[in-house]
Amino acid sequence: VQLSQTDAGTIYEFDEAEKVFVPRINFGVPEAYVEALRESRMRVGDRTVIGQAAIKRAPHQIRDLSDVPDYPLPYVQQAGYRALLALPLLREDRLIGGLVVRRKMAGEFPAPVVELLQTFAAQSVLAIHNARLFREIEDKGRELSVANKHKSEFLANMSHELRTPLNAILGYTELILDNIYGDVPEKIRDVLERLEQNGRHLLGLINDVLDLSKIEAGQLTLSLNEYSMAEVIQTVFTSVESLAAEKNLDLKVEISKDHMTGRGDGQRLAQVILNLVGNAIKFTDEGGVKVEASVSDETFFISVSDTGTGLPEADQQKVFEEFYQVDGSSTRKKGGTGLGLSISKKIIEMHGGRIWVESTPGKGSTFRFTVPVRVDRPRKQA
Amino acid sequence: MSKRILVIEDQEDNRRIMRDLLTSAGYEIIEALTAEEGVSAAEAQRPALILMDIQLPDFDGYEATRRIKANPALSAIPIIAVTSYALSGDDVKAYEAGCNAYVSKPFSPRALLAKIREFIT
Repeated sequence: VQLSQTDAGTIYEFDEAEKVFVPRINFGVPEAYVEALRESRMRVGDRTVIGQAAIKRAPHQIRDLSDVPDYPLPYVQQAGYRALLALPLLREDRLIGGLVVRRKMAGEFPAPVVELLQTFAAQSVLAIHNARLFREIEDKGRELSVANKHKSEFLANMSHELRTPLNAILGYTELILDNIYGDVPEKIRDVLERLEQNGRHLLGLINDVLDLSKIEAGQLTLSLNEYSMAEVIQTVFTSVESLAAEKNLDLKVEISKDHMTGRGDGQRLAQVILNLVGNAIKFTDEGGVKVEASVSDETFFISVSDTGTGLPEADQQKVFEEFYQVDGSSTRKKGGTGLGLSISKKIIEMHGGRIWVESTPGKGSTFRFTVPVRVDRPRKQA
Repeated sequence: MSKRILVIEDQEDNRRIMRDLLTSAGYEIIEALTAEEGVSAAEAQRPALILMDIQLPDFDGYEATRRIKANPALSAIPIIAVTSYALSGDDVKAYEAGCNAYVSKPFSPRALLAKIREFIT
């Protein structure tokens, strides 16, 4: 306004949906005037100065409003303005807004002023475009986060629904195996045991999906209690003993102290150790798996080492990502959801601990984690 | 005389698994499909133990437990909550409501029977 020696100016944005010009930035005009501009709903091709500039796609000026007695916006002249100049704001041939300056003195706007305003218009085009992009990104972000929440809720509900019939299948199977319905012939027993194993495997997969959806929905909470780390490890040991024996693997546990009482979610920590030991057994065909636990500086140090295939360096970070599985037919064959380690990482982080892996391909891997002995408040998830 | 166990559970298969398991172990079973029915059955039949599902159609198992434990004539009856894995922190809520033990779903019939035997023979 100052540089162009005019009295007032307005930058409009063109509203694509309503097809009207909306005043966005104003100089030298009172609020009531802006309100009047907003209510006038100027359109492309109407007889306002901006409407004409928009249809011509070029600057348009009115030298003296006194010569235009039927100008559609009577309040312009009532406010004392005589001369108007409008420039369309175009981006890649699309109309995105307009620029209008007003002068109280009648007369033609000199060419240098028009040129100067054209430069200014080009800058405004960029500014409006950026603002639009920014709004779009904000809207998209909101939409995405709503969709993501729906997805997590869906997964949580769905896995709950999947578990109910599966529980019945596993329950009846166990009853049959326990001869509740009469003696079971050996041949059928063998098949039933396989049925049970597969059912448990499926249940494990569903639980993984459920855990992950709960973590994503921010619904996974730690149940903080006193627990014994030695007992937690013992529980895991008991449940994987037969798996290791089946593969002729040597399963060892070394605990530095008998009583390692801590405070945290013992069940979730057992889930982590079970996942690590389960993976170790799965990916080791010869040798053994060792679980070690020690405590120092108010921190538990747990490690699970195996003599299995090991992990290439490139994969050592990625194994903790959701759905990541080390590529190659041999690993894909082993099954799994690719969720176990990412869930373990979340559980450890909620305890305020850290989990990582050290590995030499061909020689084996050692997964390690630390957790504070006493966790009184779960960490917020990242 | 065999010991009576009250099973409060709305889901048919779970009820049948408990029924088959417990009758074969020599217990007598009373079944209730809603929390309301369960509380009345506890009052009328004085079972030796109660298996309490948490998600019930009318009100939840925690509330049913509180009502039963509030009655001095019934408060000594051990209640085992059968909680769903989907909601963590259920164990704490179960104890707060007055349950004597909890078993989480999916329950293994074997483990459930062992738990029951901790309270009654």
